[in-house]
Amino acid sequence: MDLALKEVTVRFGATTALEGLSRAFPQGSRTFVWGPAGSGKTTVLKCLAGLVEPSAGQVHWDGRRVDGLSRRDKRQRQRDLAMAFQTDALFDSASVLDNVALPLLRRGALANEATRRSRSVLRSLGLEGTEHLAPAALSGGMRKRVGLARALVAETPVLLADDPLAGLDPETARHVTAMLDALDARRTLVVSQPERSTWLSGATELRLEPHAGAEP
Amino acid sequence: MRALGRAVLGLLGWTGAVALLAGRCGARLGGLNGAELVRSLVSFGARSLGLAAGAGALIGATVVLQAGVYANQFGARLYTGWAAGYALLWEFGPLLLGLLMAARIGARNAAELALLTIHGQLEGLRGISLDPYRLLIAPRVVAGVLSVLALSQATFLVAVGFEALAALAMLGLPLRVFLGAFAEMLHLGDVIAGLTKSLAFGLAIALVSTVAGLRVEGGARGVGRAAASAVLVSCATIFGLDFLLTPLLAKVLS
Amino acid sequence: MLLGRLAQALRWERPSWKAVLQQVVELGLGSLGLVATGMAFFGMVIVTIAWAQARKYTGNITVVGPAYLELIIREFAPLLSGLLAASRQAAAQSAELGAMAVNEQVEALELSAADPLVELVAPRFFASLVALPALTIVGAMTSVAAASATVSLAFGADGASFANTRFVGPMDVACAGVKAVLMGAYIPLAAAYRGLGARGGAAAVGEAVTDGVVEACFGCLSIDFMVAAAFLPFT
Repeated sequence: MDLALKEVTVRFGATTALEGLSRAFPQGSRTFVWGPAGSGKTTVLKCLAGLVEPSAGQVHWDGRRVDGLSRRDKRQRQRDLAMAFQTDALFDSASVLDNVALPLLRRGALANEATRRSRSVLRSLGLEGTEHLAPAALSGGMRKRVGLARALVAETPVLLADDPLAGLDPETARHVTAMLDALDARRTLVVSQPERSTWLSGATELRLEPHAGAEP
Repeated sequence: MRALGRAVLGLLGWTGAVALLAGRCGARLGGLNGAELVRSLVSFGARSLGLAAGAGALIGATVVLQAGVYANQFGARLYTGWAAGYALLWEFGPLLLGLLMAARIGARNAAELALLTIHGQLEGLRGISLDPYRLLIAPRVVAGVLSVLALSQATFLVAVGFEALAALAMLGLPLRVFLGAFAEMLHLGDVIAGLTKSLAFGLAIALVSTVAGLRVEGGARGVGRAAASAVLVSCATIFGLDFLLTPLLAKVLS
Repeated sequence: MLLGRLAQALRWERPSWKAVLQQVVELGLGSLGLVATGMAFFGMVIVTIAWAQARKYTGNITVVGPAYLELIIREFAPLLSGLLAASRQAAAQSAELGAMAVNEQVEALELSAADPLVELVAPRFFASLVALPALTIVGAMTSVAAASATVSLAFGADGASFANTRFVGPMDVACAGVKAVLMGAYIPLAAAYRGLGARGGAAAVGEAVTDGVVEACFGCLSIDFMVAAAFLPFT
């Protein structure tokens, strides 16, 4: 899926998170979005994901304006995207396994298949054994990894990761960066980080400046 | 059986906490922080006026509808005014408004106090030897009680007005007849009963919501839960108080 | 508004029946205590009022009994059970959904190929449609039982008069039924609208609960009035 932002401005009340941003994220591209706190990194990802509507400008998915899509169409196309959130955003009333399996089940996978693939992803992130625990029983770093697992499990054409390494110890962080770097080159990756990084091979940069009155 | 036991324990816990809070606030009634009192009065009272008026309109019209039907059964349409007024003053005005205010004022108060608690601001005040009860908590309780009392009166007036209109529009009862029967058959005792109930309900809402807010357990969920339990316990308390007060007031005032 | 979008969303996807059932249990049992006790108290209170009125007017409480039963079924039970359930239900649901919204869980659902309207709102909606009428029936029965008991025990008169269905007709039951169903529909929608719309932090959740409960309660009052007015020609 080709993604693009055209002159996107996002305002939350009196705060301006993004102003007139234009950028293309073609299929297979890898982009680092970086900038200090409050510069709008999360907002960029959420706009691309169709979760936040710009106050001005448009978001394009494969050349079509997202705001022009019907609710049904939008949801269909949204299946090509997955996002690992900054706050892990796990469903606290569900077990780790249920959290990770949900994207597969809702895309029509059978229960066995979903369980198998979920376990596999969890294992690759070093989370074996946590399947039946509730998110509240995990440490912050583990929860972030579960969030990442949930985003990876459906192998979507686009993966958005909001500050995926925050709260991880150096060893685990290395493991995660290796994993993300090794993803299929046809997939579009957009990763946000507070500082400049280079661990994603073949990645271009999008640097954001903070705006007056922005909140971290 | 265990659920019942837990409910009883919970009840005792709440009663204790409320009593403690009442004591603490009562002790500080002298030196209340005026600014916070005024701010709370505006936030709880003035801003809820629209809701109270709207509720008054609905309550008034509904009471008349039902009272009219009821009076019709006995061929006593002329007495609709009295029946409606009586029911309103004694029961439905205070009760329904109480429930609504438990929602508006109770939830709001609990949420705000919960936020102050989880952001450590109340502790902070104590840290610089300021008394959070005098500065924040007690004024809000007082403001809550006063607001409910004042809003009840406003609601009552609006309700009576709408009652008269509804009687005219739906039952064909002339305004004069309705208001006449109203004024004639209601006594001061009825008004006092309504006022007393409103006062009691207001007190319950203010105290319960404060306890709920201060008991918060952290995070956005905690705030939500604090507000929700404020509403729940306030409603239960209101019905309980209604049950205790109604026969008591009936005896005392007749 | 919300109902329209919900209906649209449901055309394409069905909520799991397990989820609906779960919500029915939670809603029903959760509000049961409050409704039962509240209505029991109310039953006793209404007797006191009926007594005072009867003394001034007819002198005999057993005469007003059947009329009060009709009122209870037609008006008080739906309205008060509705308000009580509205308070508890809307508060709990707004709090839950609000916290989820603020914690990005709702957004995570959207990107997990799940529709929040179907996953979260629909089960609560259908559950409420079933639970609220059931709660209303419980409320009515509890208040009538309490009323009869009070008349017999406290006033030494014939308690059965309050259970006398002489004035109660099918229209009364229909009126109550319509009210209960409409309230059952409205409450979860109001709560969900406010809950899912929470943006910001913990403060937003508090606001969502306040607004959600107020709207749910006010909605119940409005529904009560409109249905009562609509049924007026049928008395």
